[in-house]
Amino acid sequence: MSKVTGVDNNSKLQFKFCWVIALRAEAAPLIDAFNMKIVENKSLFPIYANEETGHALVISGMGSIKSAAAATFLKNHLKINDYSAWINLGIAGFFKDPIGDMYQANKVVSKESGTAFFPGLRLSKLVPAAILFTVSKPENGYKENALYDMEAAGFCEMAPSFSCNELTYVFKIVSDTPNSSSSLITKHLVRELIEKQLSKISDILSEIEILVEEEKKRLSIPNEVLEFEKRFKFTETNKYKFREIYRKWRVTFPSRNLDLAEFLNSKPKEIILKLEKEILANAKNWNAL
Amino acid sequence: MIETIFFEQQIAEHPTTQRIRSALPRASWVPIDRYQELFNKRHQNFKLQKKNPALILAKKHDNFVLPVPSGFGMDSHKSFYFSHMYNCLYDCKYCFLQGMYSSANFVLFVNYEDFFTSISEKIDKYNGKTLTFFSGYDCDSLAFDKLSGFADEALNFFSDFPNTELELRTKSIAIGSLLQRRALSNCIVAFSLSPAEIAKSLDSKAPSISRRISAIKQLAGAGWKIGLRFDPLIYTSDWQKLYSSLFSEIMEGLDPSMVHSISYGPLRFPKKMYKKAANLYPDHKLFAFPMEEANGVISYGTTIETQMHDFLKSELNNYTSENKIFQCIT
Ligand code: SF4
Repeated sequence: MSKVTGVDNNSKLQFKFCWVIALRAEAAPLIDAFNMKIVENKSLFPIYANEETGHALVISGMGSIKSAAAATFLKNHLKINDYSAWINLGIAGFFKDPIGDMYQANKVVSKESGTAFFPGLRLSKLVPAAILFTVSKPENGYKENALYDMEAAGFCEMAPSFSCNELTYVFKIVSDTPNSSSSLITKHLVRELIEKQLSKISDILSEIEILVEEEKKRLSIPNEVLEFEKRFKFTETNKYKFREIYRKWRVTFPSRNLDLAEFLNSKPKEIILKLEKEILANAKNWNAL
Repeated sequence: MIETIFFEQQIAEHPTTQRIRSALPRASWVPIDRYQELFNKRHQNFKLQKKNPALILAKKHDNFVLPVPSGFGMDSHKSFYFSHMYNCLYDCKYCFLQGMYSSANFVLFVNYEDFFTSISEKIDKYNGKTLTFFSGYDCDSLAFDKLSGFADEALNFFSDFPNTELELRTKSIAIGSLLQRRALSNCIVAFSLSPAEIAKSLDSKAPSISRRISAIKQLAGAGWKIGLRFDPLIYTSDWQKLYSSLFSEIMEGLDPSMVHSISYGPLRFPKKMYKKAANLYPDHKLFAFPMEEANGVISYGTTIETQMHDFLKSELNNYTSENKIFQCIT
């Protein structure tokens, strides 16, 4: 396996967008657009990534189960953070013309199990929404006013547990309709359909990135805390208490730093106690605003 | 602006659904089986969902009316609450809804008639007793009213039961449906209030205090009974000064006889809820204060609570008779 350039493979990489894509032809335009390089090519699910642009992508192959498995593989392989966005993008059948239009799936239903998923926040200013049915065999009847694919339900079953439902997105580009048979789909057409939507995809990513950054800020553990936890042996309970009291201390004294040198001979409990005392002393003049 | 409406297919033809459909023709309407399919599911993120909540139209099947938790209303009355809606347009940092649900989507139960049937049954059962029904327990009573049209239907219903009280609890200034009709003597419009500086920091998306006060005065002027709710009380260095000037601002030009009741309540969270809320807003000062924990409840502690209680009680006595003032502890 090749490494992601210049990064320790054991550390958590800073990927903002994790793509789970069924077909190589669907993936290629995204790999090119975001300058991703292959980082895993020996397993069932090839992975491409570029830490600088913040993108990672796994090719799942067709089918719901493969989509769920590939997403899990990507999550574990690159130790993806819990604030990253997960995106399933690909082609789909639709009940009406034209081909080439892109939709956000606001309801994904597994035709097999009947289970429904409701991924993502609506991005209606950028992309229209549609219901999507995930089927196990190619659908040529287009019986309902909906999109048809073969992966999204599996993806939606798994991806929200990696970050959250509001950072899980499904976008589909229409490749076949009752007037444009799926037998006409070629690799070349797939690539072209996706390339034509790249500018819209980039607008969508800008919106999603705002959410990712917000979650990153909320969930990230400050370096000061990590340093203390490395230097002192906190039990699990004390670690929890320390993080909680540090959070309050940080908000109370935003301009101060937690100085390691001040605590060199302290025990974890004493550190916690000292921070508690400082906050308490400040409580009399508490400014809630 | 609501962009997506999920509706249970069983209420697709309900008049309330139809009315909302014509009010929001451009939204995308998505059929569902039951609202629980998407409301309060695992791995949902309340804070992100709050940025663009969807509306879910559903049918409520049971538990329409429930007894209020002890300490909620005036002890002298038998009290119940009902929630025709879960979640709220506003985003108050101390709101218990964010600790209770993982979803910020709004659920509106469109079968108002079933709520009213259930309320009638309670009235029959407690024949002769003064009952109070609180609306706005899991939501704000009026914030969504332009779309839900609930207040109007509730007032029509309660106008037939003059001995039964309805309290609409709100921070909203959407009082159009009330001003358009004659004041109902058994309805109390109760406004939640904090000093303006505090509300600005904590009551995100809610109307400013000055607009709430102006709504109070308009309603009182039109003959509506007013409830003043200082709940939760927020501690800050000059809280006495802030609360004191809030009271005088509200009472200036307000006929005291229009004040039905004044209540206040301490800031308290069940431990689990506090953790959830602090986790959503780790950088907010509200969750940085060294709160105390007793019996699974997180609060400012007895010393601060007592100080605030004593001050509020004596201060409010300047404006109204003691029997209209009560402390609310849930
Ligand atoms: S107005 Fe009430 S229900 Fe709405 S967010 Fe604020 S506290 Fe919660």
